[in-house]
Amino acid sequence: MSENRRRVLDMLAEGKISVDEAERLLAAMGESTGEAEPSVARETSKDDRKYLRIVVEPDPDAGPGVEQHRVNVRVPMALIRAGMKFTSLIPSNATDQINDNLKRHGVDLDIRDIKLKDIEQLVDAMKDLEIDVQGGQEGKVKVYFE
Amino acid sequence: MMRPPLFLRLRFCGRRYRFGLWLPLFLIWPLFLVGALLLLPLVLLAALILLPFGWSLTVLMFGPLLLQLLCALRGLQVDVSDGKEQVYISFR
Repeated sequence: MSENRRRVLDMLAEGKISVDEAERLLAAMGESTGEAEPSVARETSKDDRKYLRIVVEPDPDAGPGVEQHRVNVRVPMALIRAGMKFTSLIPSNATDQINDNLKRHGVDLDIRDIKLKDIEQLVDAMKDLEIDVQGGQEGKVKVYFE
Repeated sequence: MMRPPLFLRLRFCGRRYRFGLWLPLFLIWPLFLVGALLLLPLVLLAALILLPFGWSLTVLMFGPLLLQLLCALRGLQVDVSDGKEQVYISFR
């Protein structure tokens, strides 16, 4: 255990800092020294995810007459990000029409409020997405980030 | 800095046909750059003309965003098959 880490734990034991603060400090130390705690390491690896994977595998128990669809798609995160940025090209007069249509369909949202930072956050939040569906004869569908 | 994909690999397989293709995209990028430079004055002119209509930013930003999109294609891989036919597309 490093000296800094011990000092943080001492401060926590003495009640000088809260558990949250200690956790944040330890996480920051782990990032700077590279000796991350397992939970911190998991967080870092989440940030390293570069691809969206969509995998459809056929059901091995399906009969010979059933079509065996197999899909393996790997989409770079950078491509999703770049695609999302295209929304910033929507001209101001077109946004009014979009907002009206959204409102008509029950979505009270002004797309002018969506900034590039929000898009980045949205894409980052998507990294937690994991869908695993096991159907009947269709097989197994997995959507995840790696 | 992001690098654009250098190769596009295509593979189509069926019962009666089967072919694969390696397209050297790195040969296209210099031409793309020259084309972009030649179009730049026209784009600036179009942006000036469209300024009152609110489309100038769209015209100006389209090029850089398109370039970003093309660069981001690197790593894209699509592999679809139904047991009889297969389509494989990969940007490398």
